[in-house]
Amino acid sequence: MNLFRSEEHVGRWLDQNGYEAGETISAGKLAKLAHAWWSDRLAPGWQPHTRDQNQAILDRHGLTGSFWQLP
Amino acid sequence: MDDHDVQIRNHIYRRFVELGRAPTFTELKDELGDGVEPALRRLHDAHALVLESDRTEIRMANPFSAVPTPYRVEAGGGSWYGNCAWDAFGIPAALHVEGHVSSACPDCGEPIEIDICDERPVPDEHVFHVAVPAAHWWDDIVFT
Repeated sequence: MNLFRSEEHVGRWLDQNGYEAGETISAGKLAKLAHAWWSDRLAPGWQPHTRDQNQAILDRHGLTGSFWQLP
Repeated sequence: MDDHDVQIRNHIYRRFVELGRAPTFTELKDELGDGVEPALRRLHDAHALVLESDRTEIRMANPFSAVPTPYRVEAGGGSWYGNCAWDAFGIPAALHVEGHVSSACPDCGEPIEIDICDERPVPDEHVFHVAVPAAHWWDDIVFT
């Protein structure tokens, strides 16, 4: 799960390392996703997210499709 | 993972923030007693944190990494490593402060410096690639 300068850099890195392409999103979307995913992590009343809660976060950020389906 | 395990987990996270690193197993035993060892294993099995292969020392308390990574984060007067870019962006979110992520493009090595302000990256010009489908993130979380 890495940051790159652009999609062109992602493609070159995948080719050079023989990796299959996954999914690429903007850093802006990542920031929103990270906030939704992690913002309760230090809350005194923290409870673990259920699988469905996490899937709902992905769905809410437009991360749908088989690649983003949690087990 | 019961309520007592969650309390231990919350203590570990508090200490990670305070120390700027993971608390060691010895420190946790001193602070929490002998019951910490089986609790750590239950938390690991529940994916509430990740232990090193020795099953005692902490490797990840996501989004925080216990080992140096390419994702250094400064936030709220402290600094930590994120396990990946997602986690790096998550550290300011978890702390509810603005932050700064320092990394480098894995392709060309060019430094990447991003401020996280009000849930937005500045500059907003980079991209984030996920190699492993979500169904398999926990198959090998260190690789993911």
